[in-house]
Amino acid sequence: MKVAITGVDRDIGAGRRLVIDRLEFEPATTTVLFGPNGAGKSSLVRILSGTLPGGPGIPVAYLPQRPYVFRGPARRSLLLGLDDDGGSRAVELAERLGVAGILGRRARELSGGERRRLGLARALAGPERVVALDEPFSDIDVVDRADVRSTVAEAIAGRAAVIVTHDRDDAAAIGDRLVVLVAGSVRQAGPVAEVLALPADEIVAGVLGAANLIPGTVQDRADRLVGLDAGFGVVWGMGDAPRGSSAVAVFGAETVTVYRGHDAGTGSARNRWAGVVEATRPVGRLIEVAVEVGTGRLVALLTPGSSDALDLHEGAEVTLAAKATAVRIMVR
Amino acid sequence: MGFLIDMLREAWDLLTSFDPEFRSILWLTLLVSGAATAIGVVVGVPLGVALGAGRFRGRGAAMALVNTGMGMPPVLAGLVLLLLLWNDGPLGAWGLLFTPIAMIAAQALLAIPIAAGVTAGAVRGLPPEAHEQVRALQLGRWARGVVLAREAWPGVAAGAAAAFGRVVSEVGAVLVVGGNIEGETRVLTTAIVQEARRADFGAALALGIVLLVLALTVNAFLTWFQLREA
Repeated sequence: MKVAITGVDRDIGAGRRLVIDRLEFEPATTTVLFGPNGAGKSSLVRILSGTLPGGPGIPVAYLPQRPYVFRGPARRSLLLGLDDDGGSRAVELAERLGVAGILGRRARELSGGERRRLGLARALAGPERVVALDEPFSDIDVVDRADVRSTVAEAIAGRAAVIVTHDRDDAAAIGDRLVVLVAGSVRQAGPVAEVLALPADEIVAGVLGAANLIPGTVQDRADRLVGLDAGFGVVWGMGDAPRGSSAVAVFGAETVTVYRGHDAGTGSARNRWAGVVEATRPVGRLIEVAVEVGTGRLVALLTPGSSDALDLHEGAEVTLAAKATAVRIMVR
Repeated sequence: MGFLIDMLREAWDLLTSFDPEFRSILWLTLLVSGAATAIGVVVGVPLGVALGAGRFRGRGAAMALVNTGMGMPPVLAGLVLLLLLWNDGPLGAWGLLFTPIAMIAAQALLAIPIAAGVTAGAVRGLPPEAHEQVRALQLGRWARGVVLAREAWPGVAAGAAAAFGRVVSEVGAVLVVGGNIEGETRVLTTAIVQEARRADFGAALALGIVLLVLALTVNAFLTWFQLREA
C-alpha cells in the first residue's frame, strides 16, 4: 500500500516546526529517516502511525522510540491485540530476536534492549501493510545488530516501511530510500546509495558524514576480513558476511587517502584503486573529491591544504587507498 | 472521664450483643453503599478512562463537571433525587421515595464523580510512553480503555475505595431520600444522628466505631493490595 503524509505543519517543541508538503512511502520499499536529534523524525513517524493527529489514518505497525511494556508478564505485551496467527508470528519473532526467554518476566525486570526487542517482535507480527519503526536498533548490542537487522528486513519485506535511525550503517544495510530531515523539513530524499554518495548540500553531508557505499558480492573471506567483488575491483573490509552473499561495503569519505598518479608505491592499506578525479567541491572546511574508479564512484574528504598540494582538478589521475579496518561489509 | 469510660463500656456491650436492629442497620448500610459504589465504578471508571486518555471536544468541560461532582454536598444530591421521586415529580409514579433503591440512587450520584475523577487522574498520570504504546497497538476504543484501566488499576481501585468511603460516611443524601425509617431505611450514619439526638451516646459511639472499622477494613485491604503490587 502506498502511503503519503501531506500538508503537515506542526509544533515539535523547542520553537521548531515540522513542515512536510508531501512525503510518499512506496510499498515494498524501506525508507530510512535520517537526521540529527530534534529534526522531527519521531514526530513524523508518530503522525504516520496515528499516535499524533494529521496522518493518513490507515493501520500502521508502529514501534515507538521508547517501547512500553505493560503490567503482567512480558508475554502479555507481546501478544496484546494480536489474533492467533499474529501471536504465533510474534513468538517466532521474539525467538529470532533473542527475547523468547524473557516472556515470563515483568516490565521492571527488563533491560532497555529487551524492551526494544519485545516491542519490535510485537510491531512486526501484525498484519499491517505499513510499518514505522522509531530507532529499532538503538541500545541493541553491536554483536547482535546484524542479526536483528536481517530479522527486521525479512519481516518488513513486501511492506511499506519507515525506519528512523541516526546510524549510517543501519541506513546502508536496510534502506532502499533515504530521507534526510533537518530542523523539521526534508533536506534530501532519494535512493540510499545516491544520497550517501552525493549529499545535496553541506548540511546533509554534515549530517550523514560523506560516505562510500559499494554494493557487491562476497567473493573471499579470511577470519573477519571480507573481500567484496564490487565490479571495478575488490573491496576488503571487516564483517561477517558469508561467502557468496550479496553485501554492501561502507566507509567514510574521511577514511580515504588520496595519492597523485597511478603509481602510489606501497603502504599498509589493503585497498588501492586507481581512478580519475570527477569533481571537487568544498564541504564545510574540507574538500570533497569525487573519483571515478572504473564503473564505480568513490568520494574522499581532504583538507584544502592537501587538495592544493596534490593539485586535484577534474581529470587528474589519482590512487585511492583505504585500510580494511575502516571498511565495514554488511549483508544486504 | 468516668462519663467517657461509661460510654465506651456501653458501646462495647452493644457491639458484642449484636442485636437484630443493629444487624439490620449494618446490613442495609453495606447493601446501599456497596450497590452505590458498584454503580459508581461501572459508570465512573469508563468515564474516567475516557477523560484521562481521550482527545475529544468538550473534555475540559466534562472534567470540570466531574471535579465539581467530586465535591457535591450529599444533601444536594439527596435534594435532586427527592425532587425527581416526589409524588408529583417526573419519576413519582415509580413510588421509590423512602426506599433503599432511592438511597442507592442518591449515593450513586455521589460515587460516580469520585470514581471517574480519581480514575481520570490515574490514567492521565500513566507515562506518556504507555499512552503512545496503547495507540500503537491498533486496538478498538473499548479494548484500549481496558488496557489503560488495567495499567492504572491501583489508581482505579483507590477511586473505588474513595467512592465507598464517601458514600458510607455521608448522611445528607440517605436522610433526605430515605427518611431514616427504623427497620427500613435506617443506616449507620442516620442511626448515629438519631441516637445522638436522643442523647443515647453509647449507642451513637458504638455505631460510629462500626463505621470506622468498616472504612478501615476497606482501606487496609486496598493498601495491602497496592503494596503487594509495588
